[in-house]
Amino acid sequence: MSFSFTKANLERIEVLKNRYPSTQALSLPCLWMAQYQEGYITLDAIDVISETIDVPAMEIYRVATFYTMFHLEATQKKRVLVCKTLSCKLCGSEGILEHLKGHDVLVEHVECLGSCGTAPVMQIDDVNYENLTPEKVDTILEALR
Amino acid sequence: MMVQVIVDGKNYEAEEGSLLIDLLIKEQIKVPYFCYHEALGADGNCRMCMVEIAGQKRPQIACDTLVKPDMEVSSKSEKIEKVHTDILELELINHPVDCPTCDQAGECSLQDFYMDYGLHESKVRIEEKVKHDKHVDLGANVMLDQERCVLCARCTRFTDKITHTHELGIIGRGDEAKVSTMPGRKLHNPYAMNLVDICPVGALTSKDFRFKQRVWFLETANSVCHGCAKGCNIYIDHHKIKYEDDMIYRFRPRRNDAVNGFFICDAGRLSYKLLQNNRQTMIRHKDEIISEEKSIALYQSLLKQYKNSITVVIDANLYNEEIEALVDYAQRIGAEVCAPLECYDDTEFADTMLKSAKRAANYEKVVKMGLDRTMPKTSGLIINFNHTETFYAEMQIDFSTHQRPNASFILPIAAYSEQSGSLTNEDGLVQMCEKAVHKNSPSPTLREWLQKVGL
Amino acid sequence: MREALIVSRKFSLEESHTLAVAQEHGAYKTLKKLQNLSPLEVIKIIKESGLRGKGGGGAPAGNKWALMPQESEKPSFLAVNCDESEPGTFKDRQIITKDPHLLIEGILLTCYAIKAIHAYVYIRGEYYQYQQVLQVAVDEANAAGLLGDVKITLHRGAGAYICGEKSALLESMEGKRGHPRLKPKQPEPEWYFGNPTLVNNVETIASVPFILEHGAEAYRSYGTERSPGTLLFAMSGHVERPGVYEAEFGVPMMEYINHFGGGVKNGKKLKAVIPGGASTGVLTAKEAEEVLLDYESLRAMGVSLGTGGMIVMDEETSMVAVLKNLLEFYHEESCGQCTPCREGTGWVDKLVGKILDGRGSSADIDELLEIAETMNGKTICVFAPAVSAVIVSFLTRFRDEFEAAL
Repeated sequence: MSFSFTKANLERIEVLKNRYPSTQALSLPCLWMAQYQEGYITLDAIDVISETIDVPAMEIYRVATFYTMFHLEATQKKRVLVCKTLSCKLCGSEGILEHLKGHDVLVEHVECLGSCGTAPVMQIDDVNYENLTPEKVDTILEALR
Repeated sequence: MMVQVIVDGKNYEAEEGSLLIDLLIKEQIKVPYFCYHEALGADGNCRMCMVEIAGQKRPQIACDTLVKPDMEVSSKSEKIEKVHTDILELELINHPVDCPTCDQAGECSLQDFYMDYGLHESKVRIEEKVKHDKHVDLGANVMLDQERCVLCARCTRFTDKITHTHELGIIGRGDEAKVSTMPGRKLHNPYAMNLVDICPVGALTSKDFRFKQRVWFLETANSVCHGCAKGCNIYIDHHKIKYEDDMIYRFRPRRNDAVNGFFICDAGRLSYKLLQNNRQTMIRHKDEIISEEKSIALYQSLLKQYKNSITVVIDANLYNEEIEALVDYAQRIGAEVCAPLECYDDTEFADTMLKSAKRAANYEKVVKMGLDRTMPKTSGLIINFNHTETFYAEMQIDFSTHQRPNASFILPIAAYSEQSGSLTNEDGLVQMCEKAVHKNSPSPTLREWLQKVGL
Repeated sequence: MREALIVSRKFSLEESHTLAVAQEHGAYKTLKKLQNLSPLEVIKIIKESGLRGKGGGGAPAGNKWALMPQESEKPSFLAVNCDESEPGTFKDRQIITKDPHLLIEGILLTCYAIKAIHAYVYIRGEYYQYQQVLQVAVDEANAAGLLGDVKITLHRGAGAYICGEKSALLESMEGKRGHPRLKPKQPEPEWYFGNPTLVNNVETIASVPFILEHGAEAYRSYGTERSPGTLLFAMSGHVERPGVYEAEFGVPMMEYINHFGGGVKNGKKLKAVIPGGASTGVLTAKEAEEVLLDYESLRAMGVSLGTGGMIVMDEETSMVAVLKNLLEFYHEESCGQCTPCREGTGWVDKLVGKILDGRGSSADIDELLEIAETMNGKTICVFAPAVSAVIVSFLTRFRDEFEAAL
């Protein structure tokens, strides 16, 4: 197998094993670690997680496909999550989505990000950018290049 | 404790705390269901088995309702039938209407429930259905049509709870959810074809059976698998097409909680093929086909010639009645008897579920009767009753279901599917097998041959 | 409107998320009170306070606590629900970033009452930046020796609305898909790997320190008889100053919107308000003028209070487009376990899409209502019934708009 957890992650996993009644609880934490390590979750990583926490690989795989934030495919582009749910829509998310078409990023239309009071919002690398305007989007993406 | 339950105005007895759906199934009170299966337990996802329970505001699923004393259940009211109809309609939204080309047609729960609760004008006013893959080869002779799937999770629960091999899972979510293996991986357990039986719809079909025959043409006989000494109960599904011979299309597991539960192994399931390939149909002596009359004369002269130096070899797959008759016959002609068993010991085949290391159906009968289990010792005449081993003797007569290369004198006999009889399984249980196949020109049974050669 | 700051008291302080500032303003003081209170006495106080779960359901918290065994061979657990995913809801995020130590204090008090050693905070995956603020606070509190035996673990979700449902949350925390569980046959605690577990929302737990500090009566002095205390109500959508503002239960909805939110944006007229997160139904402007913000008043109007996250819509908003937007959300978020929900959410989404595109017929409207009926009360969890209620609510109040779109 070509995947292996970093030393730091292996240490985190050992700490977490003492935090839960069963190692199965570690499937989401491990999937996150694998995703941060490689940018997405490979089948190799799933097999390694399966061995690490003693849960069948299929169970890890079906968990990975249930949650929208886990990516099973690689992308070279920056992922930009744009909330399309009601409060953001009422405050102009459609204009933001339209504007993003002019940028070379991977736009994902996602459901409510919990920024209803500061809508519209996009999330890049776990950070929310709120009260967006097209101009703000340009500035943010420029700064992140 | 047994308590009284009223269903649709009638009294029934059931264990307190047992599942209501088990009572309904046992008493053959019709409720529709997909996800519940007695071997897999309740999952509660299909929401079809709704019943009304007195004192409860909303309809309840019978698979998640525990029996209580004096519970009053209604499975047939107008209200509950509407619930069944409405949920069924949702189930059908994304289901392809391909019953005419679906192998499950005729034994499909979805089709049956539609006949019971549907038969309505579809309200569906949306053209586009959710599209999925229709031809996924899962391996192990199992094909998946994801569009036909109702996501009852019986199959995934089978690989989780029964075989513990975890090949299948429901991936994705919402109406995009589907059954799948992990990418690039296949089913890899020796019981995989049971998935075809437990799938309530046409999502999982047998690569071996599909497109071969419409199920409503099949006739069924109760039998017992001959793959090993476990004695798994099976159905033999067969059919005779006009102008052709009666053919076996498949074996299916027949429920017997004392032996095999709901399942059989794939090796046993596919062993029907052995009954149709390389069969001996003619009486042959040397390279010549001879008449029955001639063969009987030859047989009798050989008996005389080798008197006092004869061994009767019995195969441990023969029926109890056949083995008993042969032992009796051997005594009459003063022959030695043996039933070699060693060649049937196969520890590699065995597992802890249903597969036994004793790979002969009537292994236990031979042991019980105290027969000599070693290879024959005499070098005069061997009369072999369907044993597949090679023996060494001056002369050998073979009564055989199948062709034997180099046999000098071979007489065809009917296979187990072509006659009735009983078997003693490895746990000592005696089980009956019905005659299934009616050949156009049947070979005599062993017992008929014994009559002919002058018992 | 009188000020009612129970949970958000420290929100406006500079550096309010740090231990130093929190302690300067009284954080962790209530822990000392535990020396003179037994776990059962704590539960009694919570019961008397009438504290109701603030995650949307509004169930009495004390009753849930009382279901936890005091003597058990199995360990007890606390799971704090910070999966905040209900559209229009963004209050828990304020607590974990602006006063995380209040939540931690609440966790410690709750763990004492239910005799739990391990507490988990299940945080939605999208809140990672806020999770890090809470993690720093936990580490700080731990380093200061405030946690005692209690171990607080933050557990990150990964994008699934349904994990806000308490049994789905526990499934997810067990490392599985977030499928809600079949409901128990009698009142009992939740179960985490077979161990008794209490699941409460962040704001519920964050209300506990106030109650223990000032007593049940002090809490009851806010709100109404049946909806005591306060809630971090929130506003979003077409409102001048959207945000989270704590208020006591029972205040008039419009007074709240005007007082804190400055009224409808750009001086437009109000058309409708979704009272407490997407799943609570919709009110017309007229109803919004009349209704009070408490569980009973909203229930009486055929909608619910939910999380108190109001979505305000002005006169130019298309109700067909709004319903379509919400149904897309449910279609996307149905876990897919139960047939009526899995198939129903997709169907209603497509049907309303058809109406929105001008391809609908009046039969489609009737059909929507019929599917809503089928989706109601026939599934494992309340997701499908909520969708059903949303559809009925929109179609009964704004049917003319749907008909005009045909």
